[in-house]
Amino acid sequence: MSLLALKERSAAHPAGRTPKVEFRNITKRFDSTEALSVVSFAGMAGSVHAITGENGAGKSTLMKLLAGVYPPDSGEILFDGRAIRFDSPAAARAAGVSTVFQELTLLPNLTIAENLFLGREPRRFGFADRSAMRRQAHAVLQRVGVDLHPDVTCGDLAIAEQHLVEIAKGAAAQADIVIYDEPTAALDAPGVDKLARLIEDQRRAGKLVFYISHRLDEIFRLCDMTTVLKDGKHVRTCPTADLTHDALVSLMVGRELARLYPERGAKPSTAEAALRVTDFVARPGGAAVSFAVARGEIVGLAGIEGHGQREIIRALAGLAPHMAGGALKFDRDGSAKPLGGSIVATARAGVGFVPEDRKTEGLYQPLSIQENIGLGMLRGASMMARAKIDRNRVRALMQQMNVRARDDRQSVSSLSGGNQQKVMIGRWLASGVDVLLIEEPTRGVDVGAKAEIYRLLRAFVDAGGAALITSSELTEHIGLCDRILIIREGAIVAELAGEEATEETVMSYALIGRPPERASR
Amino acid sequence: MSAVSVRRLGRTGLGLVSLGLPLAMFVLLSARAPDFFGLQNIANVNSQITALLIVALGQLVVALIGGIDISVGSVVSLTSVLLVLVDPALAVPAALGAACAIGLANGIGVAFFNVHPLIMTLATMTFVQGLALLFVSSAGGTAPAAVVMLARASFGGFPAAFFWCVLAIGVVSIILYKSRFGLRVFAIGANAQSAALSGAGVSGPRIACYILCSLAGAVAGIYLTGRIATGDPTLGQAFGLDSVTAIALGGVQLSGGVGSVAGAVLGTITLGLIANGMNLLGVSPFFHAVVTGCLLLGAISLQRRKVIGV
Repeated sequence: MSLLALKERSAAHPAGRTPKVEFRNITKRFDSTEALSVVSFAGMAGSVHAITGENGAGKSTLMKLLAGVYPPDSGEILFDGRAIRFDSPAAARAAGVSTVFQELTLLPNLTIAENLFLGREPRRFGFADRSAMRRQAHAVLQRVGVDLHPDVTCGDLAIAEQHLVEIAKGAAAQADIVIYDEPTAALDAPGVDKLARLIEDQRRAGKLVFYISHRLDEIFRLCDMTTVLKDGKHVRTCPTADLTHDALVSLMVGRELARLYPERGAKPSTAEAALRVTDFVARPGGAAVSFAVARGEIVGLAGIEGHGQREIIRALAGLAPHMAGGALKFDRDGSAKPLGGSIVATARAGVGFVPEDRKTEGLYQPLSIQENIGLGMLRGASMMARAKIDRNRVRALMQQMNVRARDDRQSVSSLSGGNQQKVMIGRWLASGVDVLLIEEPTRGVDVGAKAEIYRLLRAFVDAGGAALITSSELTEHIGLCDRILIIREGAIVAELAGEEATEETVMSYALIGRPPERASR
Repeated sequence: MSAVSVRRLGRTGLGLVSLGLPLAMFVLLSARAPDFFGLQNIANVNSQITALLIVALGQLVVALIGGIDISVGSVVSLTSVLLVLVDPALAVPAALGAACAIGLANGIGVAFFNVHPLIMTLATMTFVQGLALLFVSSAGGTAPAAVVMLARASFGGFPAAFFWCVLAIGVVSIILYKSRFGLRVFAIGANAQSAALSGAGVSGPRIACYILCSLAGAVAGIYLTGRIATGDPTLGQAFGLDSVTAIALGGVQLSGGVGSVAGAVLGTITLGLIANGMNLLGVSPFFHAVVTGCLLLGAISLQRRKVIGV
């Protein structure tokens, strides 16, 4: 453990008390990306401990290590000073760790009572004791303040109710450590109050509560300790009382932008729109958004995950129906084609969609690079046309994109993430579309490949194309985009020029819908 | 409370079709076939469907975790062969032991090596059928006297088949509805990942389900061999797929998590009544298969698919 971390810990926790949980030099990688890098800090019994940071900072990964979902690659987790290692969620639960996962884990075909006690059913004569299960479930639901019958099947509940039951499930386990992963994402205000009371009860009962959130209000309201993670590294652990809103935001974003990004092009003199979106409602009951993307421009839809950026770009791509409004794609000759009907119509209108999950949605994994890119070239050809792929063009494109592969016959599944991403984008470049809708252009890609992908996208718009991207990385928006539209609760709350935007302003708009206090003062 | 109990029907998969089909068949046959209600005919139907019922109950358990086991028919055949080959005192334990081994192999292949259940059980089906034919190339031999007695005797006016059915339904009901294991079966079938995150082991119950299904095949094989009193290496050939037909007619969903013992029973009765009715009405047995196929497609199309997790 580093000296600094030691010092911080002893400052945070009065000497003499062994921490309930201590993380020591935890490192975890997924493929080539390091999700957590030498993270060390501790949590004390009887405290509510916030784990916060930007999207992708490693918060959920860290808690999943504690919950036994997967083991750390190196480093150790100590319980009451003793090193422990869980090989399954069941083992972590048996050791007293209860987790309320961000994604719902309720089983839709079981009743509330069955869900609450799955994995540790009360038993009588070796059989599941259903009356005891119902009784105990009723007690737990009352404690949490959920007015639902234990015999109701969970699949019949509304989403907000399911989240409350998920929280009750965490409370039902008699655990010393309770982890909440973004528990309020789907809760309404009364639900949040119920959760706050429950957490306070758990704190008083001497439990250690880890509370993952990037909602600053909740952190200041509920948590007495705060740990900030950034890019998988530990930034600071300190009492929440020592922090202000602004101090916390700058801890979350504090990082220098490397020269990762290409120069922005000259502002297009005549803003010739390639894409115009008008009063577009992407999800039921959502807000309407209107914006345009001009040729020569990269526009980013920024915001916290789950606030509707994904729905907007997917509805524009025609993957999901939109509720109201419309979107037009303008060709160079000025003719307009409507967007958002179906994915086939989108491609026919000359708009390419690059999905975030290249493994399952984007690439034909077992096929070769040549075939993956060639499928883009064949766009618009008749089904019965001879499928001849111009290999010279594929090779030229591979060279231009700097795809590192043996040759164009190598299967895409054997490429690294960055090279796969290039092939996916290359397919659309080869197809001759002039508007790209891109989700997470560089997810799971190393820094070198990132820079190359940014360069490719910039070259694409410089040649008269237009791109709309979503990304969970703020720095990507700020470094790459000409304009950033910040989405909060489905609506555009601000539009910033890429040059002027800082992580603080973008985060502030995304989190609380207004500029940071320093700027407004 | 009544609203609650109606809602709970959701995971049984029982619906208008699975309940109405056997009933409609019943009404139709009692109107058109005068012999249908004879005590003799009812007993006939019972003994005809007993083996399929037992196999279908095993298939149900596997379907609930989202699997399928088409090797169970071969297990019936192998059991029949073992019963006439092995020393009478050891014949039944040998058959049950072989079934356990086959189920274990299926379960390990699916749970640990991620082989698709259809491929895994297709492989064991082929292997086990070959094994049975290697042991005995055609029907012959004598089944142990005790087995014959258990399958053919009647008690208090009820044929043995009736007790075999009651026992099988009782055992599987207790496993699925009363045990902790049963609850996990439904949970894993709905979403294995969520079940694992909730602290319910996944691989163990999966393997156990395949073993249970193979054991059901062995029990059905014992019953059938007792009835015909001789060994037959192709005795179970139809059961692998017929049992899937039966549970599908009974509203069990092959994607897992939705189904019931009642559904498996009703589906089997439907199939039994079709066969029996066509027989009574003098329809060609080949036409029987045509009708079953159409009925299966029609019934499944009419059942609103209970989408889990959306």
